[in-house]
This record gives sequence, C-alpha cells and structure tokens, in this order.
Amino acid sequence: MRFIVLVKASPDSEAGVMPSTELLTEMGRFNEELVKAGVLLAGEGLHPSSKGARVRCEGKKRTVIDGPFTETKELLAGFWLLQVKSKEEAIEWIKRSPFQEGEIEIRQVFEATDFGEAMTPELLAQEDRLRADSAAKAGR
Amino acid sequence: MRFMMLMIPHGYESAAPGTVPDDVERVGSMMAFNESLQKAGVLIGCEGLHPPSMGARVSFPGGKPKVVDGPFAEVKEVLGGYWLIDVTSRAEAIEWASRCPGGENEVIEIRQVQELEDFSPAVQDVASEFTSMQQTLKK
Repeated sequence: MRFIVLVKASPDSEAGVMPSTELLTEMGRFNEELVKAGVLLAGEGLHPSSKGARVRCEGKKRTVIDGPFTETKELLAGFWLLQVKSKEEAIEWIKRSPFQEGEIEIRQVFEATDFGEAMTPELLAQEDRLRADSAAKAGR
Repeated sequence: MRFMMLMIPHGYESAAPGTVPDDVERVGSMMAFNESLQKAGVLIGCEGLHPPSMGARVSFPGGKPKVVDGPFAEVKEVLGGYWLIDVTSRAEAIEWASRCPGGENEVIEIRQVQELEDFSPAVQDVASEFTSMQQTLKK
C-alpha cells in the first residue's frame, strides 16, 4: 500500500523561512532511515504559496488566482510518498519523524485496481504506459 | 522547473470511506489529460488519494505525537490528488492546469517544487544528501 504524508504549511514556511541546520540534519537522518528501510518512494518540498497560483474550474471557464492563499489553513509545504504494509506503519514512521510542531496528514494513494469497473482494460493499459514513461522521465 | 498541480475537490472532505471515482466518462477524460501531459514530456508523476475519512493526522503537542483519525470535521479543503510536472515556467504550469477537465467544484493549486539550488549555501550543505537519496530512489 502506498501512503502520502502531507506536511502542512506553517507561518514560517509560508514566509520562506528555512528550517534550522539542526532540524535539517535530523530530517536528513530520518530520510536516510526511510530509504534504508526501503519505504521512501519520493519526497519534495514546495515553495511558499505566494509564488503559486490557483485555477478554478467552472464549466469551460477557468479563473486564475495568484497566491498567497491566506484564507486557507490547509496549505501544503511538502510531502513524502511511502510504500508500507498498513496505515499504522505509515503513522509509526511519522511518530518517529523529527517534527516538534505542526500537523501531518496521512492519506492512502489510489491504485488502478481500486477503481473497479470505471477503469476499463483500455484505461488500465494507458495507465501502465503512463507510469512506465513517467518513471523513465523521473530517472532521467 | 518542477511544479505540483494540487487537485482540491470541494466536497471530498466529507466523502465516505471507500469512495472511488466511478464515472467512466470522467475517469476517461482525466486519463486523456494525463496522456496529453505524458505525450508533451512534462509528466513526472500523478496520484489520486483515498478520502480523508480513511486517513489520519499526526500533530505534536508538547513535542509528542498525537494521532487523530479522519474525517477531519473542521477542514474545508482537502487534497484529492496531484500531478508532478516539469515545465519551463509558472505560466506553462497554469496553462496545463487550465486544460484539465476539472469539475465545477474543483480548484487546482500550482506550487513550485524546491530544488537544492533554491537554498542558501549553508542549507545546501546539510540538504545535499537528499538529492543523492532522490537519485537512488529514481534508479
């Protein structure tokens, strides 16, 4: 099972303040543990929402709104993608993370087989091609 | 430049456990959009997420982890899925998001991914191993 670990933005991350060298060192150690255990598939940090944008969909109409998005408490600062056996295992990993504050959300990732009949054999084949190509691109 | 396109479907915050996209036409048009990203050579990855009612949140009051199971009653916006793309500008990322066959209730947030060179030299020193770790992951 794959889980995504969503790290929420804080006033500091939104202001572009970088974590201390100490926290970065601990985070590096934690990432290394994840890699050694073979559970880490990907991980990225995001620039503050002030550099971002939102696209609102209304029928065919698209409205672009520039960041920052101060009205939401649910902004993302980064994520890990983990391959584990259960939600509990994902939670266990996060309990061991060097975070001292903030909130982290754990969500299971859809696999093609979760879609049932909506995922036709043609769509499944397309999905496989997509994953193979994307993996090649990511490794480039 | 790498960007995340974060799909925020309003209403998904209260979706029941086990909810999956079941509209064949909609899944099909989303797959066609994914394929257009792939054909243009910009797609690095994309995933959909099970509803928050099946998830959990970990916070750290007083430095100790506290686990709360979903759904998260107070939350108005949740992530439904994302794309990770490699494009030449923020405008190009917005252009791609605008082409997504999104529904009335959907918003796509575009956020640039941090690269090592975005950090100060001191931070780069400490974080440099992460890049080599990512290279390992990609192999």
